[in-house]
Amino acid sequence: MEKKEVEALITKYNKGLTDPAETYELERLIEDGIVPLTALSNLSQLGDRIMVAPDAQPSMALDSRFYAMLKEEQRKASKSTFSFPWLQWNFLAPRLAFATVLLIAGFSSGYLWNRSQEEGDVTSLTKEVNDLKEMVMLSLLGKESATDRLKAVSLTSEMDKASNKVTDALIQTLNEDDNINVRLAALDALRPYTYESSVRESLIRSISNQSSPMVQVALAELMVEIQEKKSVKELRKLLEKEATPNDVKQRIEESIQVLI
Amino acid sequence: MVSLHEPILILDKLSDNALMSSVRDGGLDRLGLLFERYKRPLYGFFYGMNRDQELSEDLVQNTFYRVIKYRHLFQARLPQDGSDGQREGEFKTWLFHIARNVRYDHFRKDKIKGKDPMENWEHKLGHSENKSEEMQHDEEHMMLNLAMDRLSPDKREVLLLSKYQEKKYKEIGEILGCTEGAVKVKVFRALQELKTVYEKLEKQM
Repeated sequence: MEKKEVEALITKYNKGLTDPAETYELERLIEDGIVPLTALSNLSQLGDRIMVAPDAQPSMALDSRFYAMLKEEQRKASKSTFSFPWLQWNFLAPRLAFATVLLIAGFSSGYLWNRSQEEGDVTSLTKEVNDLKEMVMLSLLGKESATDRLKAVSLTSEMDKASNKVTDALIQTLNEDDNINVRLAALDALRPYTYESSVRESLIRSISNQSSPMVQVALAELMVEIQEKKSVKELRKLLEKEATPNDVKQRIEESIQVLI
Repeated sequence: MVSLHEPILILDKLSDNALMSSVRDGGLDRLGLLFERYKRPLYGFFYGMNRDQELSEDLVQNTFYRVIKYRHLFQARLPQDGSDGQREGEFKTWLFHIARNVRYDHFRKDKIKGKDPMENWEHKLGHSENKSEEMQHDEEHMMLNLAMDRLSPDKREVLLLSKYQEKKYKEIGEILGCTEGAVKVKVFRALQELKTVYEKLEKQM
């Protein structure tokens, strides 16, 4: 629509002469922003009168009600501001959980670290003590005094686990020591090590070497105790020996019967 | 056209948006200033819609209650505003948007109760005449008010909004949820009807 036509339409409207179709046309022009509302003088005058019409006044009650509400809301707001955020569960829970996990992890790692260290310390200390006992024992076995040698043999019972050196020394004592008591003590000391095949074999070999009846009987009983069938051949050798006392022969015979 | 609130706005260096932003960020006491600025336009809007002083005051109170309640939702610039610069009057748009919802919610409650709004209006008009005397002194304004009251609520609303939003049709569009052009057409139609009603009343006098 031409500018002239628009102006003509506005003039016509202001004179109150437009028909519904033209009014509709005018609406479209207003919607598109081509015709400002102020151009329609009749209407805009009326609109201006609405604008300048004095406002109705609210009563004072509105003020007092509003300020009472504002005060109440401020009180509520300050209450929530003063409440410490770290006391609220939502805020606290994740931090608390993290702290707990950290604490537990710290304690357990510290405990494990300490324990493994302690274990290491104790193991090395035990080994040192054992080594010392071994040394003392070996040196005592070489002494002239039978009492010292007995002490040496009894020391082995205090050891957690005797080394091959110790068992070898005990077997040597059993075979070669002059004193019967020492030999018996050595035999007794060897008892915990009979699970070792080398010790068993040495014990079997030792049977025919023994001259003392007490040691012979003790060996025979040990053989029955550990159910060593291989010893029968050696025990028989003792029976064939003239020197073996009859009592001993009888005991050995019994042992052989049990073993067979 | 001189705005009713211009002297106050000039005196106050803080803009509505700055004040409302500070209210949102914890300075609740600043709401007092905004209340002083807008209690009359809001009351005028509600009173223009229902002609009931008590109810209008209730609705103003409710509007400010919602402003407090939803203050964290206030944005200095409305999302649908594409312009880069900050426009003055955004708080006002937001406020009237809330006001409109408050009025709508009240109206809906009334409807549920089964009250006839017209009956209510006629009853209230009787005693409100004494309370807003200055309005009734001016015969012309009385006529205009009478003519306004005979319009449908939609038409009355758009005229009152254009008064209190100072003819900012884009802002009114934001409040009503329509385009600027559509607002202009609504205002045009409302004014047209107002003119017809007004002329009829003049003849009756």
